[in-house]
Amino acid sequence: MTVAENLFENLRLELRRGCLTLAVLAQLRQEHYGYTLRKDLAERGLEIDESTLYPLLRRLESQGLLVSQWREEEKRNKRFYRLSAEGEQILVRLLSEWNVINASISRILEPLDADDNKGQARK
Amino acid sequence: MELLDRYLQAIRRYLPNRRQDDIIAELRANMESQIEDREGELGRPLTEGEFEDLLRKMGPPVVVASRYQPQQYLIGPNLFPLYFYVLRVAMLWAFIVTVLVSAVVLPLINQSIHVVDSLSHIPGVLIQVAGWVTIVFAAIEYASTRYPQICPPLEGITRKWHPNSLPELDEETVRAGKPRSFAMAVAEIVFGSLFLGWLLLVPQYPFLIMGPGAAFVKVSPFELAPVWWTFFWWVVGLNMFQIAWKCVDLARGKWRFRNRIQHVAFKAVGLIPILVLLTARDQIYVLLKNPGANQLKYGQNVAQMNNGIHLAFTVICAIVVIQLAWDLWVMARDGYRRRGLAS
Repeated sequence: MTVAENLFENLRLELRRGCLTLAVLAQLRQEHYGYTLRKDLAERGLEIDESTLYPLLRRLESQGLLVSQWREEEKRNKRFYRLSAEGEQILVRLLSEWNVINASISRILEPLDADDNKGQARK
Repeated sequence: MELLDRYLQAIRRYLPNRRQDDIIAELRANMESQIEDREGELGRPLTEGEFEDLLRKMGPPVVVASRYQPQQYLIGPNLFPLYFYVLRVAMLWAFIVTVLVSAVVLPLINQSIHVVDSLSHIPGVLIQVAGWVTIVFAAIEYASTRYPQICPPLEGITRKWHPNSLPELDEETVRAGKPRSFAMAVAEIVFGSLFLGWLLLVPQYPFLIMGPGAAFVKVSPFELAPVWWTFFWWVVGLNMFQIAWKCVDLARGKWRFRNRIQHVAFKAVGLIPILVLLTARDQIYVLLKNPGANQLKYGQNVAQMNNGIHLAFTVICAIVVIQLAWDLWVMARDGYRRRGLAS
């Protein structure tokens, strides 16, 4: 891996870290256990490694943002997670922050996109 | 499934005892669901190779287990700037104190202690100091992370500051001179200390300053007058003073620009050893080892040497005084101009 690739990978992971937490909290407005949560997120275009997602669930639970319970489903005991009351409040605030950042980035990128379009039109 | 059991067993070894069963049970349930799902898609059981691929994708047991541990720092990013600052200050003072004790105090107390042997203990002392500072800060980090009610996080250099507390702009910064690097400032101290060590060895090993001529001095009929000892210890003292001042500047983060007051002060106190020589009694710098036997033969030479030395130091003194006067005049002129601009 070159220095530039390494730098990109670090920045990408940094960017993804917060987004993953937001996605997991949002997805756990409905109850899930680890594997189905991972599948659902992947179906919506957000792939997460098992070794990242499962510990993340534990961490969010220890922070009081999720609640969990063991329950039998399809003859197997599984740990189901869902958003706690505190988690719901935090999710609302995080989504609001996310929307502000998203809108700002879009506005920042608008002039660049416009320049690109002009350049392509000239060609 | 034996491979899965072995995999989970390997993960278990790296997990904290009280959470092992819970985490392993959850991991097993998730992985079994994943395997079933995959087998459902394929319409057949997974082959051994496919099973191995799945586990490989999951990651090595030690890595998987480590992700269940809380994120830990020996010294976290909040505390690190303060730690690094304290470490630098502690190392500098440890260096100064050890050099002084090793090179001056111990050899003076006990003549059998060799300066070089004594100085060789410095790296060990510095490593110990760095170790202790690190241990103390690691303990603070540990306590403030786990027991924030008892040991609140240190706020000193991160939050409790006000823009008004910022130091005035260095006058040298205004003059836009090229700032010195940290390495340069440290190198000045290190080489200053080495020079000091060399200087302290000179009385014991005259060849360090005279080279082969040291042998001649030993057999010559002349010897240096006691005033040179006074001169020597003044030079040693002033070197120590300069090193200490530079260390203080380094510890205070003031190394980037040369302080003009410091420069003038060094020059002023540098006059002291010269004045010591100029005010020597009867201006005697060289003596005859055996005046009774050699006075007639070398008396004239001794007188010429003493006159020559006195003249040389008079000229040196005059040059330093003129330089000092010039520096003081420039300082006064700049101060006057600044006051004029300010008003």
